[in-house]
Amino acid sequence: MMREAIRLNMNEVPYPPPRRIIKAARQGLENLNRYADPEHLGCLRRLLAGYAGVPERHVIPGAGSNLLLREMIHVFSKERKVLMVSPSFLPTVEAAKQFATKSVSIRLSPPEFDLNVEMLMKTVREPSLVVIDSPNNPTGKILITRETVERLTQNVEVLVVIDEAYYEFSQVTFADMVADHPNLAITRTMDKAFSLAGARIGYVIAGERFASAFSSYDPFLPQCSLHAATEALADPSYVMRNVCRVIEERERLLKKLDGLGAHVYSSDTNFVLIYTGLPAAGRRFRDLGVLVSDLTTQLPPGFIRVSVGTREENDVFLDRCMKILKDHESKRLFSKNHA
Amino acid sequence: MNKDGQTMREAVGLIVNPVAGMGGSVGLKGTDGAMYKRALALSASPVTPKRTADLLSHIRNRNKIELLVPPGKMGEDHVADLDIPSTVIGTIKGETSAKDTKNIAGEMLRRRVKLLIFVGGDGTARDIYDAVGLGVPVVAVPAGVKVFSSVFAVSAKAAAEMVDAFLDGNDVTEEEVLDIDEEAFRNGRLASRLYGYLLVPGVREFLQAGKEASSVSKPSEQTKREIAASVVKEMNPDTLYVLGPGTTVKSIADEVGVSKTLLGVDAISECKLVGTDLNEKAILELFERYKSRKIIVTPIGGNGFIFGRGSKQFTPKVIRQVGRENIIVVGTRDKLSRLECLRVDTGDLEVDGLLQGPMDVTVGNKEEMLVEIR
Repeated sequence: MMREAIRLNMNEVPYPPPRRIIKAARQGLENLNRYADPEHLGCLRRLLAGYAGVPERHVIPGAGSNLLLREMIHVFSKERKVLMVSPSFLPTVEAAKQFATKSVSIRLSPPEFDLNVEMLMKTVREPSLVVIDSPNNPTGKILITRETVERLTQNVEVLVVIDEAYYEFSQVTFADMVADHPNLAITRTMDKAFSLAGARIGYVIAGERFASAFSSYDPFLPQCSLHAATEALADPSYVMRNVCRVIEERERLLKKLDGLGAHVYSSDTNFVLIYTGLPAAGRRFRDLGVLVSDLTTQLPPGFIRVSVGTREENDVFLDRCMKILKDHESKRLFSKNHA
Repeated sequence: MNKDGQTMREAVGLIVNPVAGMGGSVGLKGTDGAMYKRALALSASPVTPKRTADLLSHIRNRNKIELLVPPGKMGEDHVADLDIPSTVIGTIKGETSAKDTKNIAGEMLRRRVKLLIFVGGDGTARDIYDAVGLGVPVVAVPAGVKVFSSVFAVSAKAAAEMVDAFLDGNDVTEEEVLDIDEEAFRNGRLASRLYGYLLVPGVREFLQAGKEASSVSKPSEQTKREIAASVVKEMNPDTLYVLGPGTTVKSIADEVGVSKTLLGVDAISECKLVGTDLNEKAILELFERYKSRKIIVTPIGGNGFIFGRGSKQFTPKVIRQVGRENIIVVGTRDKLSRLECLRVDTGDLEVDGLLQGPMDVTVGNKEEMLVEIR
């Protein structure tokens, strides 16, 4: 039987959720012939509001934050241009391509990948929907400050969506600004730090303009996901344990990679961006049984994004790095000499 | 299959530049012209035999091909003990030269090879381009001292994988051949210009790192058409549009319905061609007839230059007369995504300074990317 490849390409947290959450998800299976109880959905909303520290009316749950982002772009891009960064979370880029009257991406250039705030401010002089993932996927970098959010939201013609999918790892949030900024929305997910990628629960912390546009939005979440999410939020203390384990492993991984001579970028997420200098790096790792995300379509050749796995998985990845290094041709390429 | 049930073999040309790369080991930056003799005097040893052997040993579809090779060091010597059938074509008298490469590549084109593999550097790529243009797909195996063109595979092994991908039915895409000034290169300066395009199997991940390589042709071609439609829709009737080199800009001319030179600078107005292969003087003369002017350019893949490399005709004087606000930059999202930034090197620091800053680039239908010009 073929050994399954190690998945370090989806930014999942490698640790399963606590048993009580799996047990709760199983309870959901008992009612599979029924739609979820609206009261149960209300309970999820209350728990999410409590977790995010915002009033319940600002919370919109949904089946994955990518679908919520897509829905927001669909609804708000008809009379506005969509402004994003490049590279960015691909489903957002695809949604803008599909729905927006016009889309503009601000290029984040290596090696710093900084967002040029003045360029951003100049571009939002007309009605716009600004969608920025911070921390950014795939660079792992926090792109935006409170001051920039404040400046952007001063223009009432501008709607601002910050995707905080990796909030638990970065601990940087603008959720508390939503109550006073009707044109601001934050998207988050339980896929990552909550170890619930398979449940697909996302939510929006929505300013008034977003909340009213979504007032009739009925997510109809799957029973298992709903049960798992409410149980997780009833006691989310395990989330911080997850985050600490991931961060500890991430820093160990970065240190080891640095020692190997790879150009690694600091990260505020559960993944790391690496410049390998190797063309087809993704394929090389895949051939050695490790799946990583090859960023050939988004960045200059040689960049890969690697999720932080378990210690054992990370050790396998590091071992594969060494194997690739031993390749005569790769030795020349796998270097820090990134322009 | 033939009537005996055997698979018909495809004719694949193989040309090895035996002197390519020899300068590297003895500290010479190339073997163009007299430098080859100097490399020999310094006891430089050939590098192409190993590269060629690596390439040939890694081709998986060996039962699908027969090789057409030049005599001696340019081909025949490398396939003597190979399990792939081969035929020697052409003649070479004395030392090999660029002329031999061109003659034999031309002969291979006439014999309708399905694919042409060559081992060499940028100089060899230019010779191959001169001989075959876009007439036959090529796989370029890097062996030269100067290997900057994006047509090259990253290694001999990767080149073998490209050969296999092509034989398995992969599409082809156009990649750039650069003309590197060897004299300047020897003096530590990289001066390059766009020389032409060759068709290569569109297996992006095997192409040279640091050089742009568009995705397989269909989506890329479709995007170029979308970009072209988007630009043409915004065109004003009384404006002169001066079109730079490149396939994305050419697609704009195609959309308008005029024929554009791929490497030259052409001009259109009112959907009509008003100048082809223009130099600075001709462009400035046209400016006297048109008050409203715009330049349309696309960055060179990999290095991102919009002025100063592939289009010397856009001199500082031309750029000044047009103004930054009338420069339209186009390029596929794929190409732009893999650039660090846009670059200019007009030869006039003041003009370079005027051009620097964020630039809107049309990357698709209703799609723009804001990229920094450095």
